[in-house]
Amino acid sequence: MASFRYALRDTMRLLSRHWGLSALTLLTAASVLYILGFASLFAMNMRYMISRIEGALVVQAYMKRGETADQALELTRSSPNVASVRVISPDEALERLRAKLGNQARAVTLLGENPLPWSLEIQVQKVEHITPLVRDLMVLPSVEEVLYSGKLVERLAVISRASAAVSGVVLLLTLLISTLVIYNTIRIAIYSRKEEIEVMVLIGATPTYISLPFVFQGMILGAGGALLAILGLWSTYSSAVEAVRSTLAFVDIIVDRRLLGQFFIFLFGAGATTGWMCSWIAVHRFTSRGMRSR
Amino acid sequence: MDIRLSGVTKIFEPDIVALEDVYLSVDSGEFLYLVGMTGSGKTTLLRLISREYAPTRGQISVGDRNLRKLRQSELPYYRREVGVVFQDFKLLQNLTVFENVAFVLEAMGIPPKLVEGRANEVIDQVGLWRRRFLKPPQLSGGEQQRVAIARAMVNSPSVFLADEPTGNLDMRTSEEIMRLLLSINAAGTTVIVATHDQHLVDSYRQRLVELHNGRTKRDERRGRYFVDGEL
Repeated sequence: MASFRYALRDTMRLLSRHWGLSALTLLTAASVLYILGFASLFAMNMRYMISRIEGALVVQAYMKRGETADQALELTRSSPNVASVRVISPDEALERLRAKLGNQARAVTLLGENPLPWSLEIQVQKVEHITPLVRDLMVLPSVEEVLYSGKLVERLAVISRASAAVSGVVLLLTLLISTLVIYNTIRIAIYSRKEEIEVMVLIGATPTYISLPFVFQGMILGAGGALLAILGLWSTYSSAVEAVRSTLAFVDIIVDRRLLGQFFIFLFGAGATTGWMCSWIAVHRFTSRGMRSR
Repeated sequence: MDIRLSGVTKIFEPDIVALEDVYLSVDSGEFLYLVGMTGSGKTTLLRLISREYAPTRGQISVGDRNLRKLRQSELPYYRREVGVVFQDFKLLQNLTVFENVAFVLEAMGIPPKLVEGRANEVIDQVGLWRRRFLKPPQLSGGEQQRVAIARAMVNSPSVFLADEPTGNLDMRTSEEIMRLLLSINAAGTTVIVATHDQHLVDSYRQRLVELHNGRTKRDERRGRYFVDGEL
């Protein structure tokens, strides 16, 4: 317990005695975490937009006259890629037609017996699931025709895959760069106290005792940097939402406060964890060097 | 705590022999001067005992510990039993005298109240009570040396190693420091002092081991700095 209290006191000492270096580390952490957060929000919004478009895509399967939709229904329900399926009876289809025709709805009576077939409205999980599903439906003997936005679906599938890959790479790169920048800044800060660490090792301090204040310091700077980055991101993102709403009203972007809140909590955790890990690795290198007999 | 060196050789890269086949036995509670010219191996020998260096060949044991077999996790606990006064003091420059001395006890996880009591007691013992809130750069060389001694003795180690503790100090300060080292020894601590100080060695005659080119040249119970006829 006493050791923990000493570690906390020494953390405050480290932060205040080298405040210039601490401020520099804090700003560096804030900058790189801001970039990381920005890249993540961009990737999240890309995915969100694509999934919204994907969600709106419907495959319509029309049965042959006299055939029911049972066979096609069985196929779609057994597929894990189908998000929902709705059976449209000939009567419901007629009602829809009437509603569509409006004033000319009477014309429907001219048809005599209802000529409309049974049909299915199918929504899939992802855009790339459409083409294989259409292929499977087409081979069923009961299916007359399958309608879907063929070209659009294929392009969307390509965009979806590309955006997932690009945002994945961008995120990974930003994460790597952020970690490296924070690690190097903390390492420089610890390097300036190399002699202090060496003396501590020589007079019998354990590596844990030596490391704790540096690790706490790293966590505080990482978390502080993340907090500043979150404030910056919040302000930028709010402005971006306003701008998109007023100029590109048809574009869907994430405004769910719960989701954004979770993302910011994650960013805060990532900042604290990166600070903790980077300082632990950096200080560990010095303590283990001091512990090794030459 | 007794110290035994048996056939100890230390070679630094690429091929510098600092110590060669040294045998030395220091009994618990003994006081020993380590003398010899610059580069004779005094500092290397002390650093081998404090396990800052590892021997190239040979065995070193301190108490019941064989230093070759000492695991890295045991090293901090071993070093707490060996108080070292470094040639360049190695004081933490931005800590006060009190903080420098208290630090050793804090690293051992001793509660603050006990730390305060013991650190103040030792600071008073080395005559720095009125300077306890000053930092090393505000102290004279002799005062810094006394802080280093206070730090090395604060946790009552069983072995006390001092590397040139009176180097660059005036005669009066050197004698004060010598009396301090003798008082540490009087409490039962094994003390090894590496020194060049002829006056000190001859005034406070103790066991003397002379090193020459990394080898033991002489070992006398109450030796003088120069052997008769050497001058």
